[in-house]
Amino acid sequence: VVWHNSRVDPEVLLRFSAGDEDAVKSVYERYGGAVYTVAMNILRDPGRAVDATQETFFKAWKGCATYDPRRPFGPWIYAIARRAALDIYRRERRQVPSEDVDVIALPTPLESVWVMFEVRAAVDLLADDEREVVRMSHFDGLTHVEIAERLDIPLGTVKSRSHRAHAHLAELLRHVEEE
Amino acid sequence: MSPDDLTALYLEGERVEVPGDTDRLDAIRSALGDRATWAQPPHDVADGLWDRIRSDGVTDTNVTPIDRSRWPAVLTTVGVIAALIALVLATVSTFANDGSEEFSIAMSGTELSPGAFATASVRPTGSGWWIHLDISDLDPAPAGTYYEGWVWSGDDEGVSVGTFHMRGGDESVILWAGVDLEEYPGLRVTLQDEGEGSAASDRVVLTGTWGG
Repeated sequence: VVWHNSRVDPEVLLRFSAGDEDAVKSVYERYGGAVYTVAMNILRDPGRAVDATQETFFKAWKGCATYDPRRPFGPWIYAIARRAALDIYRRERRQVPSEDVDVIALPTPLESVWVMFEVRAAVDLLADDEREVVRMSHFDGLTHVEIAERLDIPLGTVKSRSHRAHAHLAELLRHVEEE
Repeated sequence: MSPDDLTALYLEGERVEVPGDTDRLDAIRSALGDRATWAQPPHDVADGLWDRIRSDGVTDTNVTPIDRSRWPAVLTTVGVIAALIALVLATVSTFANDGSEEFSIAMSGTELSPGAFATASVRPTGSGWWIHLDISDLDPAPAGTYYEGWVWSGDDEGVSVGTFHMRGGDESVILWAGVDLEEYPGLRVTLQDEGEGSAASDRVVLTGTWGG
């Protein structure tokens, strides 16, 4: 797997590997959303996703010496995030009596979890206006006409902004398609 | 029209022929429609994280690299006898465990992984036990399986401490235990099947102990 979209300043990664707390904040700002997406995808519960997200970055900070700053940060933090969420999932499932095991949903197939991570990491790199249109289109299910009405902007602007946003996404996620 | 333009149109919902993998693009579109992709972590996640880092205060940047040359050659030999000998050596190599400092133990391969060995470095933190495994010569988990670490009690009860797969070769693994290790003096690694439940399998590949 080639990870193209780390987009984190190499100097920040170098400082992170040395345990610099400010660098932890920088990588949290870049990857906090993507890690939270992984946790939500596996756990499907905001409270437990918060725990998993916090645990992920705490473990990452504790284990910063094991991170090689010459390598992409994304797959490293993704592995920790997935493990943290699965640990919570397994621990809680173990505590539920067997007859009530159905109350906890099965986790999402792990194959799709990393796609979610990559998509979220890419979405977070879009400009605000691009991200807004992509969200309205895919998550809210709005047409271009409806987006234009809601944002009170010309339909042509929505179309051009939407295509620019999706072209940007396609570039950021090209490696996912090529894998 | 460039491949990126075609991909953009496909992601927008147009029915166009794209040069890439449409299953992947469908997965991306599915992810874009999932609420998890758009969920924002609450601000107190970051606040809690900084508090936790400040209160803990120490990273593991000073973990001593493992000098593998000191491990007896017997650990690399094949078979149950070698594993048993290594188990004894693992116990001997356990450093003083006074509950407050980092200590290390050797883990030996079982008959399922006779050449494998590992060093587990264990350190208490405010929220549990940090366990670092430096693993050598353990085969990557076959497709559909993964490795799972367990701390093990004298009552033959295991508590999961994390998973990994070794598909990147010799691997440095960080695990986490939230139980009292005095009650769980054993450390095991098992081979698990994906989707086969949360219980430990009986396929133990590495084992060690910090109990006397």
